[in-house]
Amino acid sequence: MEKQEGFMRALKCRECGREYPLTATHVCEFDFGPLEVVYDYDRIRKAMTRSTIERRPESMWRYRELLPVASEPTVGLQVGFTPLIRADRLAKRLGIRELWIKNDTVNYPSLSFKDRVVSVALSRARELGFNTVACASTGNLANSVAANAASAGLKAYVFIPHDLEQGKILNSLIYGANVIGIKGHYDEVNRLCAEIAGKFGWAFVNVNMRPYYAEGSKSMAYEIVEQLGWQIPPHTVVPMASGSLLTKIHKGYQELVKLGLASNGECHVHGAQATGCAPIAHAQKAGLDFFKPVKPNTIAKSLAIGTPADGFYALKVMKETSAAADDVTDDEIREAMRLLAETEGIFTETAGGVTVGVAKKLIASGKIPADSSAVLCITGNGLKTLDAVDGHVGAPREIKPSLREFESLVANEVKTVSA
Amino acid sequence: MYPQRLIQKPLIWELGHRFKVVTNIRQAKVTDEIGIVCLEIDGPRKDVQAAIRWLEKVGVNVEPVEISVVES
Repeated sequence: MEKQEGFMRALKCRECGREYPLTATHVCEFDFGPLEVVYDYDRIRKAMTRSTIERRPESMWRYRELLPVASEPTVGLQVGFTPLIRADRLAKRLGIRELWIKNDTVNYPSLSFKDRVVSVALSRARELGFNTVACASTGNLANSVAANAASAGLKAYVFIPHDLEQGKILNSLIYGANVIGIKGHYDEVNRLCAEIAGKFGWAFVNVNMRPYYAEGSKSMAYEIVEQLGWQIPPHTVVPMASGSLLTKIHKGYQELVKLGLASNGECHVHGAQATGCAPIAHAQKAGLDFFKPVKPNTIAKSLAIGTPADGFYALKVMKETSAAADDVTDDEIREAMRLLAETEGIFTETAGGVTVGVAKKLIASGKIPADSSAVLCITGNGLKTLDAVDGHVGAPREIKPSLREFESLVANEVKTVSA
Repeated sequence: MYPQRLIQKPLIWELGHRFKVVTNIRQAKVTDEIGIVCLEIDGPRKDVQAAIRWLEKVGVNVEPVEISVVES
């Protein structure tokens, strides 16, 4: 492509390699393969060093040469650079030497990793001249589009299945987004949204903006590496819905190696799914390079994609990095959410429970060796899925306003301080 | 996506005879467990919709080219 747009070079088909201009388009005209942003790494190498990155504000945009915007970002400037926490208490419980939590439960502004992809998609949408943005979502993505669009003064249309839980709808309505409930089964909602995306001149973040949108996930990998002192972790456990996050974490690691910002060492990127929706994990365990679609039935709604668009590519990455995948039941997810909360004080949504639960299994089976180190990607806040743990975490013990009653209640737990 | 039991059936031929749509295979992968065909279906909207409904009725999983548009 002739025109220079920041450090981007072109959009490129992941199947046939044909290149396209950097517009709002997402599939190859020849084979319908997905398009991906390619960069001019030679120019990036000259512009981006560890010290230039370290001098910049602590947000995902400190790696802006590797993100698909032509000039300075305009949406979501505070997104990212979430804490990487050394989780010794959880490590002890899971039986591993060293464990880290990449904590996107506190990502700004909508408390999930989706803020990363949305801020990239909306920044790029503005560059391309859009003033209306849209998405089809059952939760985190809708919240993030609504919040980020509001702060940027963009008009937002959010499409949801009409029977979505009230709490999730309120989390988008509050930002003034146009929320449209579609009556119909999941496949019909899917097809209508694809049609709307094709017909209206909007920036549909996960359709025509998808090549840019998906790149935002790489920022999680860059942050992990920088926060580990520019080391790529030997093991990373990533939750899989479409499978995109896993592929982009791997791409992020590879790019840092390519640029000489991190050294090429042991690196396995493992995948985690819920048993009630595990097409990628089942394919990985069976040694297949394709997945069979499933009808989701799990409390991990944010991972419930029965036909994952990037499933094939996620399987490829796991194969290339000699990694494993596994899945956990709803009870195991709740147990893992509780374990993370009780050991590290982090309340994650169900997807985080899937990641912790699968990490536990991979450590127990030796696929992640006990003497090694691992990073768990925790992608969303527990306040978003309170219903999943309701009735499973006990209840307060009630007493009358009486000291005697309280002393009797805790008699076997604590020593009374004598007067 | 075809389930295993439909892999040997000439569904695309039948689709072209039942409905006034133009079919064009862009990508395909058929194993002994599943058939995945990336099929362009062109024609009047109502015929395209009827064709999709028929495919679903016989047991084919029909997704837009983006596969999953609705995300979490």
